[in-house]
Amino acid sequence: MSLFDDIRDAVIAGKRKEVGPMVQQGLDAGEDPQALLDALISAMDIIGERFSRGECFVPEMLISARSMVAGTEVLKPVLAAEGAEPAGFACIGTVKGDMHDIGKNLVRMMIEGKGVEVTDLGVDVAPEAFVKHVEEHPECKVVCLSALLTTTMVSMSDTVKAFEEAGLRDQVKIMVGGAPINQAFCDEIGADAYTEDAGAAAEKIVEFL
Amino acid sequence: MIIIGEKINGFVPRTGQAIEERDGEYIKEIAKAQAEAGAAYLDCCPATNEGALDIMEWMVGLIQEATDTPIALDSPSADILVESMKFVDRPGMINSISIAGDKVEKIFPLIAGTEWKVVAMLDDEDGIPSTAEGRINAFKRLLEKMDEYGVKPDQVFVDPLVETLGTNEESCTVFTQVCREVRELCPDIHITSGLSNISFGLPVRKAINMGFMVLAMNAGMDSAIIDPLNRDMMGIVYATDALVGNDEYCMEYLTAYREGIFGPKQD
Repeated sequence: MSLFDDIRDAVIAGKRKEVGPMVQQGLDAGEDPQALLDALISAMDIIGERFSRGECFVPEMLISARSMVAGTEVLKPVLAAEGAEPAGFACIGTVKGDMHDIGKNLVRMMIEGKGVEVTDLGVDVAPEAFVKHVEEHPECKVVCLSALLTTTMVSMSDTVKAFEEAGLRDQVKIMVGGAPINQAFCDEIGADAYTEDAGAAAEKIVEFL
Repeated sequence: MIIIGEKINGFVPRTGQAIEERDGEYIKEIAKAQAEAGAAYLDCCPATNEGALDIMEWMVGLIQEATDTPIALDSPSADILVESMKFVDRPGMINSISIAGDKVEKIFPLIAGTEWKVVAMLDDEDGIPSTAEGRINAFKRLLEKMDEYGVKPDQVFVDPLVETLGTNEESCTVFTQVCREVRELCPDIHITSGLSNISFGLPVRKAINMGFMVLAMNAGMDSAIIDPLNRDMMGIVYATDALVGNDEYCMEYLTAYREGIFGPKQD
């Protein structure tokens, strides 16, 4: 097996302490940093699929994501020195009035697993705060909204409207997700995509970037 | 163990559907079934912003037609809670308040010196404190407010708040530590929890939920917001109460068994 396979398998197995040194070993051996990053990303693709199929679970996804981060931390300075760009820029947050962060964090990690640079705006994020972020960071092309309560779903609608009012609606794709959300609601409020789980969200965002 | 029946909640899909279709018969049916299964209070949560008060009034009316079990009025809005208190014909429970915001100021004056109970969550202005210490600080602030307004310990059901085990392996340990410290600071207070959040993202959630129930009860939790029609969970609850020494001669365990609340279904 190649080092790339070993790295991929270590991320899948969640061997957080081993991934960083393995990536470093690859760099020391003169491997292409982009190829090493791709190995990390391919691991998260597999985890995302397994998660969607109900074959792996939240803690496993979490430790794989952390293992991947351990690898990207090693690669970041090298990729930056080479002038490599991230796959794209996005922001994510749980909408106003809603304090839930687990789903949002999982989606963020899976999106990061695609090599996308994600700004996490946190929980209880006001519509204006999403708009402000995009105004200040025009490179941000996707806005991901999370809501876990039927009582805070309306904040998603308010956020879409806030982008319309700010004249920025055409500049971004808006993705929605969370327990009470479905495709019909996504269509109703004029968002661009609904995805059922973190793996699917990561697949979708790649289409948008 | 004080069971708060969780089923009349718009967040439960089947109940949400009944609310949407204004299916009063279903609401009455699950009110009656939960009361017969040993619920001491029936939670009543519209789970919506629009028309929340109208739905609350409609559901409260139906529950009171079906049973005499007191109602736990459930809303994130203190104003909805205050208005809803007018709909009930006997004192029930307010679900819920916390020291963050102005809920204490709105609710405590109305329940002081009455039979009303209140669920108090231990979050603060910054959300849910990650440590037991942070939640105990929130609890101490709550105790001061209870003192100030004359709300008695046995009126208050503290909810220490359950985080997900799948993303935080300390979640149960923090919860039980808070339970123990709350009990020590105020022996007559109640401790309750919605608890199912503990098992989010893990397979066979029932196993995690039941394990958590045992540990939490062992740490002093004396109430839970659950589905009393869940026979496996009710069996664990009665068994644990007996095991921790709260059930003399196992009488409550045996009575619940004979009433068919758990164990093999009796015809």
